[in-house]
Amino acid sequence: MVNLIINDKAVKAEKGEMLLAVIRRMGIDIPALCQHEAVEPTGNCRLCMVEITKKDWDGWKRCVTSCLYPVEEGLIVETHNPKLHDIRRTLFDLQLANCPNSEVIQKIAAEYGVYKTSFEVQPDGDNCIMCYACTRICEILGKSAISATQRGHNKVIAPPFGEEPPDCIGCLACAHICPTFHITWHDEGGVRVIWNKKFELLTCRQCGKKTITRDFAEYLVEKRNIPRDYFDTCDDCKRQETARKFGSVVIAAGEASL
Amino acid sequence: MFLDSIDKLSAWQKDCRKKSEAHKVKVQICLGPGCLAAGADLILKEFEKVFKKHKIKDVPLESIKKTGCHGFCSRGPLVVIEPKGIFYGKVKAADVAEIVEKTLINGEIVERLLYTDPDNNKTYTDWKEIPFYARQTRISLRNVGQIDPDNIEDYIARGGYAALAKVLKSMTSSQVIDEVTKSGLRGRGGAGFSTGKKWATAAKAEDTPHYVICNGDEGDPGAFMDRCIMEGDPHSVLEGMIICAFAVGSQQGFIYVREEYPLAVVNLQKAIEIAREHGLLGENIMGSGLSFDIKISRGGGAFVCGESSALMRSVAGEIGEPRAKYIRSVLKGLYDKPTVLNNVETFATIPVIMDKGAAWFSAIGTKRSTGTKAFSLAGKVRNTGLIEVPMGTSLREIIYDIGGGILDNRKFKAVQTGGPSGGCLPENKLDLPVDFDTLTENGSMMGSGGMIVMDDRTCMVDVARYFLNFLVEESCGKCVPCREGLFQLHKLCEKVCAGKAFEEDLKLMEDLSRVIVTASLCGLGQSGPNPFLSTIMYFREEYLAHIKDKKCPGGVCRDLISYVINDDCNGCMACLRVCPVNAISGSKKQKHVIDQVLCDRCGSCYAVCNFEAIDIV
Amino acid sequence: MKYRFQVIPTLCTGCRTCELACAFAHAKDGKLGKSRIYPLAHAENKFVPVVCLQCDDAACVRSCLFDALKRNEETGAIDIDYGKCVKCQACVAACPFGCALVDNEHDEIVKCDLCQGNPACAAFCPEAALRYVPVEEGTAPWAGRRQTIGKLPPVLPPKK
Repeated sequence: MVNLIINDKAVKAEKGEMLLAVIRRMGIDIPALCQHEAVEPTGNCRLCMVEITKKDWDGWKRCVTSCLYPVEEGLIVETHNPKLHDIRRTLFDLQLANCPNSEVIQKIAAEYGVYKTSFEVQPDGDNCIMCYACTRICEILGKSAISATQRGHNKVIAPPFGEEPPDCIGCLACAHICPTFHITWHDEGGVRVIWNKKFELLTCRQCGKKTITRDFAEYLVEKRNIPRDYFDTCDDCKRQETARKFGSVVIAAGEASL
Repeated sequence: MFLDSIDKLSAWQKDCRKKSEAHKVKVQICLGPGCLAAGADLILKEFEKVFKKHKIKDVPLESIKKTGCHGFCSRGPLVVIEPKGIFYGKVKAADVAEIVEKTLINGEIVERLLYTDPDNNKTYTDWKEIPFYARQTRISLRNVGQIDPDNIEDYIARGGYAALAKVLKSMTSSQVIDEVTKSGLRGRGGAGFSTGKKWATAAKAEDTPHYVICNGDEGDPGAFMDRCIMEGDPHSVLEGMIICAFAVGSQQGFIYVREEYPLAVVNLQKAIEIAREHGLLGENIMGSGLSFDIKISRGGGAFVCGESSALMRSVAGEIGEPRAKYIRSVLKGLYDKPTVLNNVETFATIPVIMDKGAAWFSAIGTKRSTGTKAFSLAGKVRNTGLIEVPMGTSLREIIYDIGGGILDNRKFKAVQTGGPSGGCLPENKLDLPVDFDTLTENGSMMGSGGMIVMDDRTCMVDVARYFLNFLVEESCGKCVPCREGLFQLHKLCEKVCAGKAFEEDLKLMEDLSRVIVTASLCGLGQSGPNPFLSTIMYFREEYLAHIKDKKCPGGVCRDLISYVINDDCNGCMACLRVCPVNAISGSKKQKHVIDQVLCDRCGSCYAVCNFEAIDIV
Repeated sequence: MKYRFQVIPTLCTGCRTCELACAFAHAKDGKLGKSRIYPLAHAENKFVPVVCLQCDDAACVRSCLFDALKRNEETGAIDIDYGKCVKCQACVAACPFGCALVDNEHDEIVKCDLCQGNPACAAFCPEAALRYVPVEEGTAPWAGRRQTIGKLPPVLPPKK
């Protein structure tokens, strides 16, 4: 256990825990756009910055991203002060210039009193805030079908060479984790299109409902050892099947319980 | 000779010295980047041709030496004839026959190729007496320009690997670290962290293996010290790394060389192979039981890969992006293992410290910044090139005594130190001693040692804009303040240059810069606004002139200047002919006039006018 | 004291009170939740309340790419960690009983969580077809679940 002080309150935390987790647990509201529990923190958005110091630092303070800073014994943390407020405001101001149409950004920027950017709005600005959540989650799958390419302001999240990503399995993890709904896809006529790649959707053998992509099912069969026939029917039909099979057991046995 | 014991080195050294003394005269041809660009390879070919044709007494073909950068780049291509040190500059292939005939055969001097000081018309024969060289103290550059980088015997003859032998024979690893700590050596890559402390932390780290990395990703525009060391004296880098490996207990080293230095890769690779052949790298070095090998890792052309965490990711084959360093890379670096990362110049300095001792080294320079520092002097200064001076030397000495003052006798305006994220210092800071702390206190930084001199025809807003543009393009784009913040700062700077900014914009720029400095993830962003911050600190009136008066005092910003023909015009029609938009009118021998509406301020007329008849207002 | 969720299909009349109870128990933001339990007819007037069996070595846990599904040792339920779930629906496709569901109303993946140890359906079942009964000390509430239903889809092959 590690003892530290956050906003004048003494708290205990597990060794190796990151500051942000402790701050959130205390119920303190602190913005973070790139952080997601399913992936490793990277510190891209810088919004979760806090000011830290220690008794023996002679008053020296330092701003760090709390999502990446492991708790330390005797750490004194401030999560809100004029300096941090100023940093967050400026970051939102910059984000608003870059993603002028993102409702997510507009909403959370407004909470910090930023309604209009002071900077030059990017006319071709999309909703991507370059948080890397998508690339990180794809990396966990062991696919890394997409990655951040180019650099600086031209950086984009894209499949290799901007072509159809050969490693993509159409699982939509990237699209679902995206905090600003930048990554889009559509399912139509049994075909899913994401990253310009077309995927065949599995069809329920009984009712014809579309489930996940064939590539995703194959991945689960191969990597997660799920029997292939589990993917033959949809969840509705599987429940029906469960009732039917279980019913026959009950009839045969006279009485049974689950 | 294969060294299977430490004692064999001294015998080999004697051999090498004898061999080197066998040639009475040595013709050293500088093949540094500057001289090569000026045609040094043609001169080399010409020398070889002449030597093959005529047998010269006492001067066999072997006495031609292909050396690395000799330093005085603005005089290149250079040919130095040792042991007298006869220094010929701006040599052309056509001069070679004359040099051979006069100097090598008859022992005379070719006067017209010697260096003449334009201030007092004094001509120098021996390069060591030229003020450019005489005021330098060369430690890390000790062999650069003096030896053939491909020939290990040259290096051995000048005392190479003796420091390593001394370390392996008579010192423990903690003694080595103590010695480095006592020497006060601070990392030459820019941040100036104590090298001894870094090594001590790595040596103590429990996790294994330990790695040693040499940072040869010298990306600052106008900086070429590390390049010249890697190209001209690769063995000194290897020796420094082996000593470090001994001190911190490492078996594997890497040299990260930037993509743009192919010759450095070739020379280092050759040096590594030669060192292996002689038992100086690999298993059981010189029979001492120390095993250490070095691999070269090539960069992919990203400036940010000079940053330690990005560099280590790049070496490991990942995307070269920095990561937050709340756990120091010396404990968790390459492959998350303890890693010592030092700059090329730092490693090249280590053997000298081991050889001559910490006391000798710390006596040079200032108390908190010991030793010497290599700089590449560039810009509007007469003598450009590679220099090395003791820490604490004033900027004035560097620019006026070594650099020979400003080109065309113009007025000095500013000197930019520390590369793109460094800062510009004005004239009243010229007497500042150059060391890590003083430069940082004054809003600039040491950086890796680029030094760009600017004259009064430079617009400081434009300079800030230029360097910000460089940083915007080189930002990796990972974190918001650097990617978006520098981008917007650059946009605002462009707005000032175009005369479209308001005074409030300066406030916005200052506020934004402050956030970028505190909130950025790595050093690139944290020092990114420096070009703006240091120019606004010292040259605020220039910004205001752009904003309020819509004028560019330096006469650079296109939107704010106009070219006007004055009464010195004699109607030669040169400008009229060169104008691409036909904005100049006037007949022969009559004063010409520029139509300001048509003129698009390309500056062609200004460049061709021989009578200074065109003013920039 | 640990409890085990018990379903006795022969007592089920298909009244769907459990569905209502479940939907109310999982209501949030002013909207009913999707019911996690379904009394389905397998023959005329014969019903089986189909609900998550909280399997040992469950397919949903195995299929989850980001470790968002974990056994809650207290209640015996397999719970979804919503901080980690990215709604990829791997569990929905993988569950052989169709008991991992998509709640379109709340835009999330849901499954039976035994109401954090106080299942509303069992409390409201008028025929006591759904029960939450104590288990012997030292026995895991979910032990042997799969054996009971041996004729249902085969037990998962062992992990590679």
